[in-house]
Amino acid sequence: MSGEEEILRRFSAIEQAREFYIVGKKVARVDSLEAVLGKPIYTGDLVTGDYVFVRAVRSPYPHAKIKKINPEKALNMKEILGVLTHADIPGENDAGSLISDRPLLAVDKVRHYGEAVALVIGSSIESVDEALAKVEVEYHPLPVVTNPIDALKPDAPRVQERGNLITHFKIRKGDVAKGFEKADIIVENTYRTQFMDGMPLETEVAYAIPEENGRITCISSMQNPFDVYNKVVKILGLPAEKIRVIQAATGGGFGPKSDETPIDVAAYACLAALKTRKPVLSVFTREESVTVQCKRHAFIIENKTAATEDGKLVAWKSTLYEDTGAYISKGHLVIARATFHCTGPYEVPNVWADGYCVLTNNTMAGSTRGFGAPQAHFAAEVQMDILAKKLRMDPVELRAKNILIPGSLTATSQKIDDSGLEVCFRKAVEESAWHQRRREYEEFNKRSMYVKRGIGIALLYHGNTLGPEGEDFANVHTRIERDGTVIIQTGLTEYGTGAITSLAIVTAETLGISLKNIRVERPDTSAVTSAGPTVASRTTVIGGQAALDAAKQLRSRLAEVAAQVLEAKPEDLEFKDNRIYIRDSPERGLDFKHVVEKCYEAGVGLEVEGYYIAPATKWDPETGQGEPYNQYTFGALVSEVEVDILTGMVKVLKMTAVYDAGKVINPLGLLAVIEGGSIMGLGHALTEELIHENGIVVTPNLHTYLIPTTAETPLNIQSIAVESPGRIGVFGAKAMGEIPVVLPMASITNALAHAIGVHINETPLKPERILKAIQQNV
Amino acid sequence: MINISLRVNGRNYELNIEGNERLIDVLRDRLGFKSVKEGCGSGDCGLCIVLMNGKPVHSCMVMGFQAREKEITTVEHLGDEDNLHPIQKAFTDVGAVQCGYCIPAAILVSKHILENHENPTQNDIRWFLRSVLCRCGSYLRFEKAIYEVSQQVR
Repeated sequence: MSGEEEILRRFSAIEQAREFYIVGKKVARVDSLEAVLGKPIYTGDLVTGDYVFVRAVRSPYPHAKIKKINPEKALNMKEILGVLTHADIPGENDAGSLISDRPLLAVDKVRHYGEAVALVIGSSIESVDEALAKVEVEYHPLPVVTNPIDALKPDAPRVQERGNLITHFKIRKGDVAKGFEKADIIVENTYRTQFMDGMPLETEVAYAIPEENGRITCISSMQNPFDVYNKVVKILGLPAEKIRVIQAATGGGFGPKSDETPIDVAAYACLAALKTRKPVLSVFTREESVTVQCKRHAFIIENKTAATEDGKLVAWKSTLYEDTGAYISKGHLVIARATFHCTGPYEVPNVWADGYCVLTNNTMAGSTRGFGAPQAHFAAEVQMDILAKKLRMDPVELRAKNILIPGSLTATSQKIDDSGLEVCFRKAVEESAWHQRRREYEEFNKRSMYVKRGIGIALLYHGNTLGPEGEDFANVHTRIERDGTVIIQTGLTEYGTGAITSLAIVTAETLGISLKNIRVERPDTSAVTSAGPTVASRTTVIGGQAALDAAKQLRSRLAEVAAQVLEAKPEDLEFKDNRIYIRDSPERGLDFKHVVEKCYEAGVGLEVEGYYIAPATKWDPETGQGEPYNQYTFGALVSEVEVDILTGMVKVLKMTAVYDAGKVINPLGLLAVIEGGSIMGLGHALTEELIHENGIVVTPNLHTYLIPTTAETPLNIQSIAVESPGRIGVFGAKAMGEIPVVLPMASITNALAHAIGVHINETPLKPERILKAIQQNV
Repeated sequence: MINISLRVNGRNYELNIEGNERLIDVLRDRLGFKSVKEGCGSGDCGLCIVLMNGKPVHSCMVMGFQAREKEITTVEHLGDEDNLHPIQKAFTDVGAVQCGYCIPAAILVSKHILENHENPTQNDIRWFLRSVLCRCGSYLRFEKAIYEVSQQVR
């Protein structure tokens, strides 16, 4: 065994011991200082000097032929510098983030409301806005299809050249027909969820700066700089080195900033910069952003569930219709995740599921925090509650009989190897005082005529990171400067999740230094290679492994040099408190900085590339059977609600949120993610609804699309982390970024049902829907 | 052009502005106070909130000329790296920052709450902070930060 291998082996022993120096300690985020000081770090803050503006002419029709585009009147305006159509695109007119089904600028047809048809460039934003209306586009409206079930009919209008059915995703486990025969009870319900908007508060924005050497640097707000880079290179038809993309601080991601519109906004700016040779600011208005950015898919889910009279699940059949809008974006992947999770976190011996991803003339849907899991869990968890009611069983009792425990097989027959769900479930029931509260609320409801209260629960499992969605790798570039500062650079991005702080924590842990000695550089396509997408809650889990790999290499090099000075064996050295010392005689040691200096003197390089790739996952596309994910996050959410049955207004009083994070790397960050995700999910449950009327978005702003404020926030969210280590995550960490948004719809619906006596199977739980349900239930 | 004088972050400015310039445009584009953010331009999101004569206003809903002879405070005035304002420190300590985009507005509204309520209740805090949208959902963190500062003051 070489020296280096021996050292690495010793480090893995340290990892196993789970004795941490900084991991799991309460630390402030590496980037919070800039935010509280109001520093100019976002794209729109960085524009200076003489720049021009570009904005898109957008279709007022959800489906139409384009007969003619006449830019003349716009071009005649004084401050207008140009109008671009698809014919002016020098490279390929292809803006689809994964699948090339979407033009940047419409060619002969528009397929959804708000689709971009032309770009107007001008020296003032006022002149550009005025000119947008002066670009004359002659349309011939076409028939519209706005519902996935209608879109599957043979005579439905075709949205694209292909058929409207994009994916048919299947799960076939056991024999459902037999399962239904054996059952004592069968419940069958149809669930509907609405289109929702991730609604990052910073809209899409890009600033393109042409340089003298012909390169264009594009600063932008996004999750995936390399997706933007690759497409902009293609659209502009330039050699790759002529484009450089830098991610500025990003005011919220939530999925939409990983999909289509960040490509659009950057391509608009870069095309305009190429044409004018001037810096260009491209920024979406709120209306534009809500209209065209990728939504959370609307789903129709039919669930048929069978159980024995003592509450054992025996068969489950799901049919899921996913409305992905006019272009696929990530719809084909979202349907897979939704279908994989269609039974909720329960062991069912016989499962049959069909998931359909369908095109319609609605605006595009794509990635949104949770990626199909919130919809699937809503349908599964309300179904479980209805089943419990039919069985005259407490919802907790029914769940206890069926949850995934070590040895259980999921819907894809993947064996569960940890007890995360059991622990989360038990804690949630205990900490919320479930049984006591349930009795209290039932007593309360007998006495109270107009105000009713209820408590509800929902459980989840969430297949971690990309799994079937792509190559699950990351790389992190780490170097140590001569003054001892450790610099981390990666293509993974920060957009609010705090995951980049986790990379710094992992690095600090391994090198035994404090967090303030670490600096994280902005992602820049000219400085790093792609680290894979920053999606799927994978930065801490997968990126953390790459950061650990880099830090271990550095530690090994430092140890060799320090060992020579200390006349000790490298493997006997400890790294802690910015010192490197002999484990058994801590007084014999050196300052971290001193060792760095020694490395520089000896010519030992302190610049490394850390890499990690998760094992490829396997499943059979015909049956869905196999191991689609490397590990699962588990969770339980108890909600307590109060409803005014005269107005139908619901207030969430309290949430008890218990999640199995595997290993908590950054507790303060996790707390914010759990609280914030719960609040976002509360909005999905109660108020948020992106409404299309015949394909036209009628809620394109923040006074018609209502996201939660402090007024809707529960008075108390009790956040509890459980640690049941995962197989692949750094130090055992499991994915957490998206997860807290998955359960509120189901949990709140179940709590409301406890209050009013009926389950509503369609979200959001808006007052008129609640009043109707109460009336029908009387 | 309209000639106005106003005081921003303790300094007097005399400016010629267009009649259609909003206060946010004056602050961001003419004076460079980039902490003021625009999230909607219609008074819904509250990210553009600044203090005008001590009171929170949506700077996208106030015309530049309406700020004539007024005293404006943005977050740039509160503290710096070595000397954070107690609210800025509390926001950092409790983990209030997620994407950070609403933070300047949330800090200014918090300042207003603390200056006008010696011992703000949960209700006081929620009443005022309703004006700032935070999509990351840091509301309970803001509440905790304000509570912690109010305890220090006492």
